[in-house]
Amino acid sequence: MKSAGPIHATTASASRRPIVLALCMAVLCLLGFASIALGSSGMPLNRVVLAILGTGERSDTIIIWSLRMPRLLMAGLSGVALALAGFILQRATRNELASPSVLGIVDGAALGVMCFLLMFSNESNALVVSIMWQPLAAALGALLFAGVVILLALRTDAPPLRTILYGVALGALAKAGVTLFLVDGPVHRASQAAMWLAGSVYQARWADVDVLAIVLTVFVPLAFLLSRRMDQLMLDEISAQASGLSVRSTQLMLFGLAALLTAAAVSFAGAIGFVGLIAPHIARLILPGRAGTQMLAAALVGAAMVMAADMMVRTLFAPLEVPAGAVTAVIGAPYFLFILIRAGRIHA
Amino acid sequence: MHSDHRNEIELRSVALGYPGKRVFRDLNLSIRPGRLTAFCGPNGCGKSTALRAMRALLPADAGSVLLRDRPIADLPVKTLAREIAMLTQSPTAPEELTVEQLVRLGRYAHRRAFTSNTDSDRRAVTNALRETNLTDMANRSIGSLSGGQLQRVWIAMVLAQASPVILLDEPTNHLDIAHALEVLALVRRLGAQEGKTVVVVLHDLNLAARFADDIVFFRGGEVAGSGPVEEVFRQDLIEDVFGIECIVRHEEVSQRPFCVPIAACPGRRDRLVQD
Repeated sequence: MKSAGPIHATTASASRRPIVLALCMAVLCLLGFASIALGSSGMPLNRVVLAILGTGERSDTIIIWSLRMPRLLMAGLSGVALALAGFILQRATRNELASPSVLGIVDGAALGVMCFLLMFSNESNALVVSIMWQPLAAALGALLFAGVVILLALRTDAPPLRTILYGVALGALAKAGVTLFLVDGPVHRASQAAMWLAGSVYQARWADVDVLAIVLTVFVPLAFLLSRRMDQLMLDEISAQASGLSVRSTQLMLFGLAALLTAAAVSFAGAIGFVGLIAPHIARLILPGRAGTQMLAAALVGAAMVMAADMMVRTLFAPLEVPAGAVTAVIGAPYFLFILIRAGRIHA
Repeated sequence: MHSDHRNEIELRSVALGYPGKRVFRDLNLSIRPGRLTAFCGPNGCGKSTALRAMRALLPADAGSVLLRDRPIADLPVKTLAREIAMLTQSPTAPEELTVEQLVRLGRYAHRRAFTSNTDSDRRAVTNALRETNLTDMANRSIGSLSGGQLQRVWIAMVLAQASPVILLDEPTNHLDIAHALEVLALVRRLGAQEGKTVVVVLHDLNLAARFADDIVFFRGGEVAGSGPVEEVFRQDLIEDVFGIECIVRHEEVSQRPFCVPIAACPGRRDRLVQD
């Protein structure tokens, strides 16, 4: 049964957009503040503010500016990248189950990084090239796997569900490669990689934040430039084509962009799962309709999700370092099931 | 509107089909400007395939499809969309979209990159909503509409595309008779008012006879007959095309022919299968 009247009646109001976006922003700022204040040693808000402004105690300033701030920003930015990647994939495949992890792109990026670590380590487990090449390796892995998924999907004109299955199969393949590396590769690298793989921002450094921020300043505007095409893809493929959209080239561009966004997040923050799947769902729920505003909302929600997850692992499990990806999965997986069950009820 | 061209759309020796299945070997067909043409024929005769070829959604394996004497294969996707709009057989969109949001998607081919809604976009959407009687429902989500209302929304989207040619693939599918009549009357009126060239795939022969100017009968990947309704809506042709026995009468009120089916004619069907 479909729910009638009242829900639908409110969907259109464009006036809701700025309010909803402002609310998202406010939640994000609150989370940011709380996240900086909380940690292995809590800090009263007045000291937080002073430290941020640079006029606080020296120890506070160091804790905030060189430890917590880069970590917070890394969490936020990787959340933005993953949420946008998921949003783009869901529009490109017209499938709400699509996301960077479901389509095997996260594992592809992870495999790329693994190969990089394997190829460019010497006997004493030190990298022989700059770590700055790691994102490129992630991008190559992500693009390769995204490319294979979309080519398989287009070649066989696969229905949406089969595209997902292609992704799951390829993801399993990449995961197998990663496991082989973990078992057979250099020991030190392996233990480091295991932590990174589960998705964590605990090692965040300013240099990483800078690179991720630069990458996002290139890709995020690109995503917004494609937002009208994504709107058109709300139609079925034939209708979209008839309305004047080059469907195939649009899908290729969107897959490429999603792969690069995923790679950017994964290479710095590891495989933080379910953000790319759920943030777009929440965005769609609170702001139905146009891709542009929905994408903004998804980005904010994604940032908030990873920031909240990281805050939880720092406070609830301290002094243990639990990867943030574990929390997003614990919260995300049941929500995903809920969406599936609800979807089943609507179609029944 | 385009009276300087004898034919709006012309298919010349077109071969068409899907991987492993050839539907047409040598299709020749012309659509006259400013008229409502109905495509009729039994299931699987190629009506929808021919329609898709006319919109370049299915590339011709041989021969050429011409829009006012220009090959459509040479036209950029957006240019073609401004010339020919098409409503597919079972279009889909997310339920939470509002009527207006969906209709606005019809404007894609008219928009330039990086610009927002122009006045002509807004005018086209407003007009399309008014012509389809949807102005009051503009802010409702399409998931809350009935089948007939939803079909009107899709037609409004196609109208917003503001193209001189409109192709409709079974727009009366899944509609009850009242809504089917309503939709066809709307299509008929729009065609007449704005001089649009309209091609409609129709299952119901009598609806075709009632609303169309021209009819094209398809049978097993061939054109069995085409021309003005008065000329081609004949008993022998219909019996042959559909493999039935029927009577064709003239109806006084609408001044249109109509067909009374009597029985399926197995002999004819078998012959068709052998073809």
